[in-house]
Amino acid sequence: MERRKFLNMGLVAVAATLVPATSLKAVNFRETKANAWEAEKSAEAIKAMFGDGKLNPTDKIKMTAPKLAENGGSIPIRLKSDLDIETIAFFQDANPRSSTVVFSVPEGQKVDYSFRIKMRQTAYVTVVAKTKDGKLHTLNKEIDVSIGGCGG
Amino acid sequence: MAKKMKIKAKEKDGVVKVKVMFKSLMADKEEAEKKNIAVEYIAHVLGKVNGKIVYEATTSGFMSEDPLMKFSFTGAKKGDTLEFELTDNHGKKITGSKKIK
Repeated sequence: MERRKFLNMGLVAVAATLVPATSLKAVNFRETKANAWEAEKSAEAIKAMFGDGKLNPTDKIKMTAPKLAENGGSIPIRLKSDLDIETIAFFQDANPRSSTVVFSVPEGQKVDYSFRIKMRQTAYVTVVAKTKDGKLHTLNKEIDVSIGGCGG
Repeated sequence: MAKKMKIKAKEKDGVVKVKVMFKSLMADKEEAEKKNIAVEYIAHVLGKVNGKIVYEATTSGFMSEDPLMKFSFTGAKKGDTLEFELTDNHGKKITGSKKIK
């Protein structure tokens, strides 16, 4: 309880020191990076989305996901990071196409996104984030799916 | 054709926590074929407060049905209006808004 409280306080403090400076830009990745949405494998999709840059494994991004998902139709994922991220994308290898969701993070905001995805089978999920300095960070995790999620 | 969205937004100590649920089948090509329904999914989500973008996601049909998204952002206060603009796979736009509590 103490620890949780402390962590929460830290979060609030971090958030409060941020200067709210959101720019007005909208990027629809479906239009600008159309290829990336057709790629079947994560590796290809990442290449199409972010180019050939080197991927650095990181522990600065936290992904919360179940190790074993009972319902493949709804797997809760949470991404959290304090890095200055510009774009963060989520890929999986379980479905016919790999790209699942891409967030473009407005300036001055921190990544704290929860969402749910579908997965047909046990597979690796990969998160790739591009920070403001142009570096690519990645992490992945295997999720076990016991029942198929795509209504089959 | 997403028809509805449910938005909850609460401000505390400068951080606005948002929960938002969109109504959509999120059926991609293969799934639509299996279920014999039309392809339908949300392709792009944009969240704005006072004309500033606070949330932006390009999504695909591999998100869950009726996607529920949670996020938090800074730089808004109570009483501001949070607007969402969805674009579906046909390019149709749907908007919704809610006051931040």
